[in-house]
Amino acid sequence: MKIVVTVKLVPDLAAAKRIDPSTKRLIRTGIDTVLNPFDEYAIEAALQLKEKLPDTTVTLFSMAPESSKETFRKALAMGADDAVVLSDPGLAGSDVWATSFAATQALRKIGFDLVLSGALSDDGNTGGVPGALAENLGVPGLTNVRKIEEIADGRIRAQRETDTGYQVVVGPLPAFVTVTMAVGEPRYASLKGIMGAKKKTIATLSLQELGIEKPVGSDGAKTEVLAIDPPKSREKARIVEAPDGATGAKAIFDFLRERKLV
Amino acid sequence: MRDVIVFVEHRGGQTRKVTFELATEARRLADALGGKAHAVVLGKGSESLAKSLQNYPLNAIHYTEDSDCDRFLLEPVVDYVEAVAKASGDAVVLVPNTMLGRDVAGRLVARLEAGITSDVTEICVENGRIGCVAPKLQGSTITTCAFKNTAYGIITVRPNAFAAAPQAIGAELIALSKPAGKSYSIAIENDVEEAAGEIGLEEAAVVVSGGRGLGGPEPFETLLRPLAEALGGAVGASRAAADAGWVPYSLQIGQTGKVVSPQLYIAVGISGAIQHKVGMQTAGTIVAINRDGTVPIGETADLLVVGDLFQIVPALTALVQEAKSAPA
Repeated sequence: MKIVVTVKLVPDLAAAKRIDPSTKRLIRTGIDTVLNPFDEYAIEAALQLKEKLPDTTVTLFSMAPESSKETFRKALAMGADDAVVLSDPGLAGSDVWATSFAATQALRKIGFDLVLSGALSDDGNTGGVPGALAENLGVPGLTNVRKIEEIADGRIRAQRETDTGYQVVVGPLPAFVTVTMAVGEPRYASLKGIMGAKKKTIATLSLQELGIEKPVGSDGAKTEVLAIDPPKSREKARIVEAPDGATGAKAIFDFLRERKLV
Repeated sequence: MRDVIVFVEHRGGQTRKVTFELATEARRLADALGGKAHAVVLGKGSESLAKSLQNYPLNAIHYTEDSDCDRFLLEPVVDYVEAVAKASGDAVVLVPNTMLGRDVAGRLVARLEAGITSDVTEICVENGRIGCVAPKLQGSTITTCAFKNTAYGIITVRPNAFAAAPQAIGAELIALSKPAGKSYSIAIENDVEEAAGEIGLEEAAVVVSGGRGLGGPEPFETLLRPLAEALGGAVGASRAAADAGWVPYSLQIGQTGKVVSPQLYIAVGISGAIQHKVGMQTAGTIVAINRDGTVPIGETADLLVVGDLFQIVPALTALVQEAKSAPA
């Protein structure tokens, strides 16, 4: 079985972020980028399947600048077989529609029985790309999967989380699956894995190779950023020392009263 | 874009507060755009819910009891919403920023070649153009986005960000007919409700959240739940508590969990690392209880009480209950 895991590079949560005022895009130079933490769970889910199912390969796919290609070595060290990066200046400024449109063509070229992805990305927090990708690829989409129960006879059975509980769903392959953190903590790379990853292939694709004719990037995007502002800052917290429960409870209760919250 | 279409999330006819928030906002937007406000209600229980939505200022409520919406994952639902949007010609679709809402939204982007803005907390209309305000990059910036190059815009709206105001204007009920020639690939074999009857964390007006300081699963039930119930709210947790297995991941708030904006957030025994902060920093009022006065939550909170949570929480619950039974 051929599994492709779509991954995204996101700015490190702890890094200070700056926006270019003219392009209204995140300045990515000088900021550490890391794998979207949700996608590490997708890699873990793929590697669990690789251990269980014979003749399974795991390919990582990302849209990222050529310069950040090496970031994927860490994910390859976890145990993925190879990586393909769609890298093209024409992709800059892509929104959900443009991203999913371009990625669809790339995934078709790579070929797959199963695509795995994290349920959300950490920066835009849109969560829209997987759904749009599944739709464009014309394959069933199983979202928010917490456990892949079985893959057999060209079908997948999985448990997916809902807002109030879970569902057991069944559908045919090829399919697009997004996973939640419940699939299992991403494994650490072993020393052997790290050494082996140095020899693994990270191939690049360009828009031209995919024959994409519709404009993507900021020209093709269906959204544009009008303004960027800092968040409203809060006043510094009032700090109350509570030697006993009654003092602490009263301090909170009075504060809530003051704000008409009780 | 002129018309506004609300996707109504429900379970057997039981909906969430965010539906009424969206219906109210749809009216305001439709008026600003010079169009109509629609709602789409799909699956079992839709007819009765459609009727109760007539208490909100919508022009038309489209519904179907088609059981395929409950038997198959997502595809039938997206078909119906797409059909309503296409009949409208150009429209903005409002969906709640929930697990289901995000799934519907992503699909619609491809079906309608639409723009999408997500987790939106404020919408404005200027010269017929819609601007959507949303926190991005883990809350470090607030962006305003608009749609371009498309007839359709999808907006996933953060629950609790808009007010709900009932107003009956005689919305027309329209029974939807089944789109022809469709087959659905993903069957729902089993649908289990684990948190039946609880207020959804994302729409609760009050969230009482616990972290490592609680030391185990029991205090979530014995300390936090009574306080949450007294305040009419829901219980949440930090990642540390979910990772320890004290609570299910569905209660986790933060970077890799849920994002909430209640009127009141009470963080109990949570240090408040940035991963937690991004999930609750837009709450109206933030109160923290911690035995350490130097924890990072102090930078996010409005009030930090330094003391023993095991004494403070029950005493606070008693004060709230007392106030409720004898209003001042």
